[in-house]
Amino acid sequence: MRKVTAVPAVLLGLALIAVVVAAATAQARTEKTQATNITLSGWSAGKTEDDLFQQVVDKFNSTHPAINVDYSVINGDYTTAMTARFAAQNPPDVFYVDSARLSTWAKQGVLQPLNSYIKASKYDTSKFYPGLLNAFKVGKNVYGFPKDWSPLAVEINTAMFAKAGIKRAPRTWAELTADAQKLASSNAVPDGKPICLNPDWARMLAFIYQNKGSLAKVQSPAVTQAVNFYVGLIKKGLAATPTQLGVGWPGEALGKEKAAIIFEGNWVMPYMPANFPQVKFGVGPMVKGKVNANLGFTVSYSLAKASKNKQAAWRLLSWLTSKVGMQTWMAYGLALPSRSDVKAKAGRQAFLASGPFSRGWAFPNFDATYTIMNNDLQAVINGTMTTSQMLADVASSLKG
Amino acid sequence: MATTTPTETSGSPKRDSLLGARVREAGWGYAFVLLPMVIFGIFFIYPLGYAIYISFYEWGILGKAPGTGNVGAENYRTLFDDPIFRRAIRNTIEFTVVVVPLEMALGLLIALVINARIRGRLFFRSAFYFPSLVSSAAITAIAIYILNANGLLNAIIGGNQAWFGDPSTALWSIVGLNAWTTAGTVMLFYLAALQSISTDVYEAAAIDGTSTWRTFWRITFPLLKPAHFFVLVVFGIGALKIFDQSFIVSGGTGGPVYSTYTVVLYIYNEAFKSANFGVAASAGVVMFVAILLLTLIQRATVGRTDIG
Repeated sequence: MRKVTAVPAVLLGLALIAVVVAAATAQARTEKTQATNITLSGWSAGKTEDDLFQQVVDKFNSTHPAINVDYSVINGDYTTAMTARFAAQNPPDVFYVDSARLSTWAKQGVLQPLNSYIKASKYDTSKFYPGLLNAFKVGKNVYGFPKDWSPLAVEINTAMFAKAGIKRAPRTWAELTADAQKLASSNAVPDGKPICLNPDWARMLAFIYQNKGSLAKVQSPAVTQAVNFYVGLIKKGLAATPTQLGVGWPGEALGKEKAAIIFEGNWVMPYMPANFPQVKFGVGPMVKGKVNANLGFTVSYSLAKASKNKQAAWRLLSWLTSKVGMQTWMAYGLALPSRSDVKAKAGRQAFLASGPFSRGWAFPNFDATYTIMNNDLQAVINGTMTTSQMLADVASSLKG
Repeated sequence: MATTTPTETSGSPKRDSLLGARVREAGWGYAFVLLPMVIFGIFFIYPLGYAIYISFYEWGILGKAPGTGNVGAENYRTLFDDPIFRRAIRNTIEFTVVVVPLEMALGLLIALVINARIRGRLFFRSAFYFPSLVSSAAITAIAIYILNANGLLNAIIGGNQAWFGDPSTALWSIVGLNAWTTAGTVMLFYLAALQSISTDVYEAAAIDGTSTWRTFWRITFPLLKPAHFFVLVVFGIGALKIFDQSFIVSGGTGGPVYSTYTVVLYIYNEAFKSANFGVAASAGVVMFVAILLLTLIQRATVGRTDIG
């Protein structure tokens, strides 16, 4: 009797298992065909920012059920890690590209030109600041859209300025020199110099552009004049480099009250309250030379040429840099929008004012040229090289 | 009736068994080294051959640059025409020529002191060796603070010299840092060599009334020749490959004013920043040939590799 009832029970159990397995497999197959998996990678900007960006990615995933984005941060040396992934033909589908790196990677053939995707989806690029968008073009090919950016601005120690009787941050070269002289004569910066200047073309180039100079004619009088003005501030004793002041960068000089004026980007805004909350500082727009000009430090989202899911990757890239996607990221107040139709956190107007006349930080043969630029600039500051020798070296390197 | 024993004829069983035993023993030996040799082949010989191969091509991230073929010695010409590479060679040689004798002198001095059976020698041996255990990158990062214009060193000795920020002192600051971190390891090699010297020679020297300095210079120092050779080769090669400290101190630029630009930093920048793998490989080959020649010269002049 038991034997007779056991067999049907076993058969029923097996049948139930078979049904469950079949249903699960069918569900998984359905889910797999519905969602395309793509990867998005960038460097880490700290756990807080990484976690906040994950929320942006989660929003995309929830509003685009056909695509599943896996956001993974690359720690360590980003360029080297990405080079290895490109060589292995296994890069992330969408990833960050610094404007300085763009031309090298585009030349290496690892970036997907986006022109056909822009045309097919009628993607409107008119709201991007032109200087930033151009930083990701090589010839007629567009290789990415700027995700955010920061220009330089003038940051001042308001207490030191008050002691010197100066009401606001300098707005022109003449005011910069005059304010530095007043700060020096009133001994408002007893432990340092009025200005902390980075011996870096990533700062000096803004002054070159302000003097109507350009890298296309780097040995021109306009460029020479701008370099001599910049270096001249140090030689006149109105400025010092971070090394001379015993700090790592100008932000630290401002915080340790070894300088009253620095030229840095949006990254100073969270740095100062976090590290030097007792130092009161103000921000003014970047100084103007003969013209308004500035540098825009920007990073793009770009698409890998080796991506196996280019359409899905394009959907992600275009959403992240759309008004909606960018506004979602800007709401966290960590970055500046590279689109003129997206609002930034309050208090960033001094930076955003440069949007229309900022140029991306990029030029041909970037790494080799940048090495020569800064080593030679240090030699010019030390007096062991002339400005014209430096500009000749730079001109030669820009040609590749 | 002529008789022959099996051993008197070729192919006799006793000779065959001896030959077979040798072959079997050799076979076991080869079998044991097979795996390490395969690993050595994959991770050393193959990459070396591949680097030599790509040094004759314009090689990018994805391989040969499209539309190009064998460029012959073009990469090597580019290399030696580049003033930065020439400066990197000069910096690397200057660094090596100064740091290696300094490490040897410091290491030998510490070894002599510890070998003299002072109280607490175990503690001092560990203390002097400790810097060698710590990450070179961590030590360099801390040294940047100690050696900056307002750092601890200037607070002690006075002045406001930016040791890593001044082109005339940057490389020598790295020499000092490197000598301090590696002297402990050199000490261990010399200590082992000192302890293998027979005490009879010192007893004989004492009987003859030889002074301490003469004992050291005429007896100890020459008897340490194998250790000198070993340290010269091993630490000389290490010095020629200097990278991490110059990279961290200069932020990868080799500054200030190219004073910390080394050959390996050049290779790194050409490969991973400029994606110029052909030129980077040619620099690597030049480095390999230079180190090989140097080792052969050292072997011919200083002596054998075994210690004691």
